[in-house]
Amino acid sequence: MMNRIIRRIQRFKGWFGAAAAFCIFYGLYLGLFDSPPDYYQGEVVRIMYVHVPLAHTSLMAYASLFLGSLWYLWKRDPLVDNMCQAAAGLTVIFTALSLITGAIWAKPTWNTWWTWDPKLISFAILLLIASGYLMLRTFVEDPDKEGRYAAVLAIVGGIDLPIIYFSAEWWRSLHQPLSISMRGVSMTGDILLPLSIMSLGLNLLFLYMLMVRTQMLYLTNLLQAKKGRLLSQVHLTQTSS
Amino acid sequence: MTFLRVIQWVVWKDLISEMRSRETLSSMLFFALIVILVFSFSFAMDQDAAQQLIAGIIWVSFAFTGIIGLGKSFSAELQNDALEYLQMSPTPKGAIYLGKMLGNLLFMLVVEVMLFPLFVLFFNLNIVEEIGLLLLIFLLATLGLSAVGTLFSALTVQIRAREVMLPVLLLPLAIPVMIAAVESTRGALNAQPLTLYFHWIELLTIFDVIFTVVSFWLFELILDS
Repeated sequence: MMNRIIRRIQRFKGWFGAAAAFCIFYGLYLGLFDSPPDYYQGEVVRIMYVHVPLAHTSLMAYASLFLGSLWYLWKRDPLVDNMCQAAAGLTVIFTALSLITGAIWAKPTWNTWWTWDPKLISFAILLLIASGYLMLRTFVEDPDKEGRYAAVLAIVGGIDLPIIYFSAEWWRSLHQPLSISMRGVSMTGDILLPLSIMSLGLNLLFLYMLMVRTQMLYLTNLLQAKKGRLLSQVHLTQTSS
Repeated sequence: MTFLRVIQWVVWKDLISEMRSRETLSSMLFFALIVILVFSFSFAMDQDAAQQLIAGIIWVSFAFTGIIGLGKSFSAELQNDALEYLQMSPTPKGAIYLGKMLGNLLFMLVVEVMLFPLFVLFFNLNIVEEIGLLLLIFLLATLGLSAVGTLFSALTVQIRAREVMLPVLLLPLAIPVMIAAVESTRGALNAQPLTLYFHWIELLTIFDVIFTVVSFWLFELILDS
């Protein structure tokens, strides 16, 4: 019997993928062709339409890993554990991509690929924690322990990340201030529109990938379990006859 | 047994077995000595450079030495399946955590206090006035390392590749402790006014409180068989 949620994912994931593709292509068109170059940064600013949404999405990915881990420890639903594993892999991908695009942007703007800035430090450590999470999962044999230990790591990491950010910010700060803050938006519409559409598109892409990967992990485990059952049945019939 | 008695017994047990074997302390000490030697060969320093760099060197060697002690703390329990008895014991798991954590804190502090004079000697430091403050910083930062480290020591001891996974998981999470410890130690060693680095001591305290509580609650999930 397949899980009801898995069936629902199977039915609806296509819509998320299509919406993500539409938003990303439309956002890229707006960002690359339709928006003006920046007054100070020139054409370089266009990578921001990819970099900022990637960074938002990687935070979203870790947030879902954190909340999923809490939920798993509470309910012990194996499907939620699969979702966490999927979210961790996506956190690694999106964080690595946002670090790479950030470095490409920083080279012409700050004249350096890398600098010890709080946001960069926090993202680098986020990448380390998420990769450590995936490594940890491969080293535990018992599936129940695997889920529990991984969830513990994700929760400790999630509590630690804000502290890492603030300590790095006290340590040194160079990053340009947030352009969207509580006090209002400091950008014009022709920049904000492609940025928000790209952000929406990448978040939808994340949800789509999360669904596909969760489904894949769940079905793989199901297959393994069925295989094990069949093998033991074959073994039993062989020994009894 | 009451909660406090359990803590007391776990610390006592660790101390006794350490007194008899002297495994953890001696390996930590020798490792730290080698780290200090390597550092003093790698940087040819005059006293000005030493004042700037020494805080970082001190904390890198303390952290690496601490990881050795933390790793041993639970891998020693693998002998004679002692870990399973800890898992099965009807005592509150939080008490076992606090006992182990205090034991680790004690071992790390002993090593740090023994090593610090060597740093003073090799790197020609002046520490006459700030010694009490330095000890406070050592205590707070080591408590932070030990609070997170004990949790992950108990976790990694039950998986494959445990010697690799403990530093891989622990060091990124301990970044705030490392930054705060280095900055406050540098402030104290250079005899800066306390207001310049007091916020780092506050950060260490906050980290200690948060992660002792969090690890205390999560430890039950780690030691559950």
